[in-house]
Parts: sequence; C-alpha cells; structure tokens
Amino acid sequence: MLLEAKSVAKAFGNFWAVSGADLAVEEGEIIGLIGPNGAGKSTFFNCLAGETMPTSGRIAFNGQDVTRASPEARARAGIGRTFQVPTTFEDMSVLHNVMVGAFLRHPHRGDALDHARRIVALTGLRPEQRARSLGTPGRKRLEIARVLATDPRLLLLDESLAGLTPTELHEAIALVRRIHEMGVTIVIVEHIMEVIMTLTKRVLVFNQGHVIASGTPEAVVRDEAVIEAYLGRAHRRHQES
Amino acid sequence: MSSTPGPGLTLARVRGTVGWGLFAAALLLYPIVFADAFYRDIGVTFLLAAISASAWNILGGYAGQVSVGHSMFFGLGAYPPLLLYTLFGWSPLVGVPLGILLSIALAMAIGMPTFRLTGHYFSMATIAVAELIRIFVSTWAFVGGAIGLQGPATARGWWDVTFRSELPYYYLFLAVLALVLAVTAVIERRRFGFYLRAIKASERAARSLGVPVRQTKMKALVLSATFTSVAGSLYALKTGFIDPDSGFGILVSVQMVIVAALGGAGMLFGPLLGALILIPLQTATNTWFGGSGSGLTYILYGGIIVLIARFEPGGLFELWHRLAPRRWRGGDAA
Repeated sequence: MLLEAKSVAKAFGNFWAVSGADLAVEEGEIIGLIGPNGAGKSTFFNCLAGETMPTSGRIAFNGQDVTRASPEARARAGIGRTFQVPTTFEDMSVLHNVMVGAFLRHPHRGDALDHARRIVALTGLRPEQRARSLGTPGRKRLEIARVLATDPRLLLLDESLAGLTPTELHEAIALVRRIHEMGVTIVIVEHIMEVIMTLTKRVLVFNQGHVIASGTPEAVVRDEAVIEAYLGRAHRRHQES
Repeated sequence: MSSTPGPGLTLARVRGTVGWGLFAAALLLYPIVFADAFYRDIGVTFLLAAISASAWNILGGYAGQVSVGHSMFFGLGAYPPLLLYTLFGWSPLVGVPLGILLSIALAMAIGMPTFRLTGHYFSMATIAVAELIRIFVSTWAFVGGAIGLQGPATARGWWDVTFRSELPYYYLFLAVLALVLAVTAVIERRRFGFYLRAIKASERAARSLGVPVRQTKMKALVLSATFTSVAGSLYALKTGFIDPDSGFGILVSVQMVIVAALGGAGMLFGPLLGALILIPLQTATNTWFGGSGSGLTYILYGGIIVLIARFEPGGLFELWHRLAPRRWRGGDAA
C-alpha cells in the first residue's frame, strides 16, 4: 500500500469538514476524489498534502506515518501536489520554475538543469518563457511540470484540469496519462466528469464530510446516494413520479 | 540572467559582459580621474552604500524578506573595532571578526521568532529590534552612550587602517564590494539562490516542492547579516567615529532598502545602480542646503519610496527592461 489514510477527520471549530474518511491507494493507481462543492474533498486533499493537520486519524505513506509531517517533508518522501489556483513563480522562466523542483533530488545545478529540461520537453512548454506571461492552461501545465521534477511517487492533483477548453483538456488528460505511464501513482480531485471517467479506475465520492460511495466511476455515477448528493432529493422525486 | 542560450541571447550576454567590464574599469579609474578629495569621498560613500544594499539584497531582495532593521548588523559591525581600540588600544581590525560573530549570533536569535511573521509584520519586527538596540546602546556608557566612540586619530601603522587620503579606503571598499557581488552571483546560480527566489514568490508553493523554507531563510539572514556587519566595520574604520544614530539609526536601514529597491531588489547589480543614482543626489542636496541637509534626506527617501511603490516596484532595471528598445538590450530570446 503506497498511501493509507485511516478515519481522517478535520474540524474547523464546531464544523467537521471531513468526518472519518478512509483511503487506500495501491502503487500505480489513479484515484478520483469527487463530490459537490463544500463536500470536504479539498480539506481531505490538504490533509494528504500536509497543508492542514487532521484533527484525528492517521495517514501513512509507503509504510511511514506522515500524519503530522510538513509539506516539505512529504515532498522529500515522494508526495507531490498541485494547487487549485496555480502558484507558479511569476518572475522566473518556465525552466527555472521547474529547476526549483528538480533541485530536490539533484542538488547540483548541472544535474538539475538537465532534469528540468527533460521534464519541460515532456510538457511541451517553452523553457525561456516567463511564468508571468503564461495563461491559465500554461500555468497548470507548469505546476505539473514543476512537481514532476521532484520525482514524486504519488502525485496529488487539485483540479489541475479545471478551466480548460476542450482541446486543452484533452492535451492535459494525455499529459496525466503519460505521467501515470512513467509509474507515478495519482490522486486527482476533479469536477469534470470526463476527466474522472477517462482517467480513473476508482472513485471516492464525498458529501458533507463523509465518503458516501466508492468504486469504479461507472458504478459510482449510477449510485443513488451519489445522484442525490449532486442533484438533491427533488431530482429523485421528479424521477420517481 | 537566463542560463539557456537561445537565438540572440549569446550576443546579449557578450554585450552585457562588455558593459559591466567597462563599468568595472570606470570604478577602478574613478578616484584617479577625479582626484579631488570631495569627489573621492562621494566615491567612497557610494561604495559603502552599494556594499550595504547588496548585503541587504540577499535577504530582502532575493528572499523577499524585507528587513527595515538591518542597521542592527551595521551597528554591530561598526562598534567593536572602535570599542576594542578605545578599551585596549587594539587595532580596529581586531573588531571586524568580532562584529561578524555578534551579528551572526543576533541573526540566529532574531531569525527564529521573526521568520514566523510574513510581509509587513516581519518588517515591523525588524524595525523594533533595531530601535531597541539603538536605545539600549545610547544609554550604555560602556560603549560610549549617546556620545559614541572614536578611533585612532593618527595611524600607528597600516594595521590601524587610518589614512589621510581617501584612496586606500576607496580600493578597500571596492574590493569588498567585488567580494559581496561575487558571492551573490554564485548564490544566484545555485540551488540556494533558486530556493530564495521561490520563497519570495510563494512560500506555500516552495514548501510543496520540498524547499526547507525556515533553514533557507535563516541561511540568507546569516549571510546578509555578515556582509552588513562588514559594511558597518568599514564605515567605522573610515570615519573613525560611531554613535548610536550613525550605527543603529533607522536611516541606515532605510537607505539600504531604498538603494536596493531603486535599482532593482533581487537583482545582482540592482543595489549598485541604486547607489549610483541615490548617493550623488543625496550629496547634492546636502551640499546645496548645508547643515539642514539631513532633514532633506528623509524627504528624498520618502519621495523615492512613493515613486517606486507607485510606478515601478521592480526598480530601474525592470523599467529599463520594459522601456528600452529590444536592440538596445540585445533582444530576449522570447
């Protein structure tokens, strides 16, 4: 088991954003986390990434407890992540952005440069371009390239494919596929069902802080509880009548 | 600054090298061409401002941790040489490493709590510490209190670093400036420099890529404090006099920030350009308005802060990049 989260819960004051979520990820899987807005998937994601500390529960990565580990310690351990709102290093070129990631495993400039160049080539970005001048799709791509340069074993993607045009989306899906083929395990938070249906083999559905369903994407979209969570009771009454 | 040669970029780099080579030659020749003591003194003041601001630049420019209390290290570098001379009659040179040690100790002590703060809160905390030290020093008779300390009036030998002419100071300061810039240039290319710039852009993103943010900031602070302390020592050696205001005063800190920001914070030659503009300007206002000039310095600083903040937060280098026709700056690959 590469990643194992056991009854992870997170409370903000009296509000339980996540109340007891379990997740077990095998090496080589692509897992989707879906759910309506405010369902707790982002909070759960941040617990996995080390951004927020869970109130209770346990997270183990590669057999080691990382529940309280800092984001930088997790990156060293092999957990990479992207951000919902891209946070590229604006004043630096694409290549230099990726080099920051590459330096994690390649302390010497020359090695980091070579590694970063390979990764940038993989993503099809122009190495000399300043991050500031990239559009949203470019930024999302750059974020993926940057974290990929840290050689993660597990990649956590936080809506990395949202806000793209259909063409860009297909390119992005192809990129995620390629990363997966390189042997990286992926957990992806996504609203776009096309992404979930085409990329993932297994999906966890969150609603009001609970995991209400899990299974193959095909099974999950037919699940009564999931339909109700997304469309509400009125929809069911409407269907029944 | 880019490391990958692209079309036209190699030419730009050659031009850049030639340009800076000419500038270095100009710096070497300046005190010989302008042999008048007045102009040499401006040259020395310029070099000192460039050294201090370049030292500040490592933490404030590259890592984006805007300290407005760097006078604490400047003062800690300035006091020991004159204190050891006053107490034991030792060469002021002995105090230089002591100043560095004290500055490093202070950097580590204040780094731990203040790096929990970000943005303006960090800046305010550094002001508070520097002011505390200034007030403490001005009431402490052992280090001269409000009156300050004096160095040797006439040299007993070269080791007293007390010269009639400005010339030895000029070349000593120039050598130190070259050292600070060389160290900064090396940092810029290495992992440490990339991490500093990443921290400046987004701590959160830097963390997610495994950047040890706390340690990296601390290393930058210690390095920055070391060079600032050396700048303070040089000031004391040259002036032969130090008091709480000229050592620990807020104007000392503010000058470093303005010089660096005016030229371009986080750029190797930013502080140099800033000092090149600010110091002659400051000397001019002080000369024209005589003794009341120090009040005018505040107004000048204030005006520059407003202009930079409003129109060009990246400094003059950024302005140049935006405005200069491509063929002048050699053309970016992009």
